[in-house]
Amino acid sequence: MSREGGIVKRRGEKLSLLERYLAVEIEIEFKACLYFFCILFFYSMYRLMCGSAEASILHMGEMIVLTYGMGYFQKYVLAGFDEADRMGIRETGFLFLCVGIYAAVSWLGAWFDRRLPVTFFYAFYMALAYVCGFLVYKIKRALDAKRLNEDLRAFQRRDAAEEDGNS
Amino acid sequence: MKYTIEHISQGEEEVILRCHSPSAEMEQLIRYLESRSRKLIGIRDGIRTVVEQPEILYVESVEGKTFAYTESEVFQMEHSLAQMEQLLGAVNFFRCSKSMILNIDRVRELRSLASNRIEATMCNGERIMISRTYASEFRRRLRGGR
Repeated sequence: MSREGGIVKRRGEKLSLLERYLAVEIEIEFKACLYFFCILFFYSMYRLMCGSAEASILHMGEMIVLTYGMGYFQKYVLAGFDEADRMGIRETGFLFLCVGIYAAVSWLGAWFDRRLPVTFFYAFYMALAYVCGFLVYKIKRALDAKRLNEDLRAFQRRDAAEEDGNS
Repeated sequence: MKYTIEHISQGEEEVILRCHSPSAEMEQLIRYLESRSRKLIGIRDGIRTVVEQPEILYVESVEGKTFAYTESEVFQMEHSLAQMEQLLGAVNFFRCSKSMILNIDRVRELRSLASNRIEATMCNGERIMISRTYASEFRRRLRGGR
């Protein structure tokens, strides 16, 4: 292999590392935005019910930083439990942990004026958001698997037909 | 080495190599024949055996050694994984990880997993993971890309 070929190989490896990093980064940011909008919707409804059509930019900033941080936490510490195949004891424990963190930060930031019933309802809402997220990923994978198996059958039929043609 | 060509009017064409022990020349000839045929030479219980390419479920490299797995047997191959990839060459053999080549024709079912990974269940029930690095290429191969 020539020196030129070696450089091409190293560049290829670097690109692959960069691609992998970007893929993970995009995944985390996508989820952060998703959960941020969930929280923002609840917050907006709360503000409207309190008779105000205004929202605090500080609170929104805290929300996006929290969802971004939680994205990394879920991915690297909690092994991406919201994309698991099934919601077992471990995954349910992680779910409650994340919901607890969201509720605690909302309390510290006084997003809901430190009202306990609202904070509890918000925690329940976040738990529901996680369950919905889990179901969405599960359905997505089931549809993907269906397509993969259709492509597999078509491939195997094509290959068998070519074999018959060559023999 | 002397060689004899025998013309036949019917029956299957066949190459028979007779040797006391395979020389470098003989090995080269075997490599050439392997690349042209769908049969490979593997070692099982210390004996060199013919391995039919369509019977191979997957090929794996473990601690520098290469093994070909059929439904019920394991053969140690004399080639590296990279050489096996070239020898197998056909569209239905796919490099699914750093240390494995999969025979797509012997896959029974595919399952989509988290983080864009794919799990392939082979016809003998064994499960093989296709990592996210190779999953995109695998999907392309299934749809007819090479």
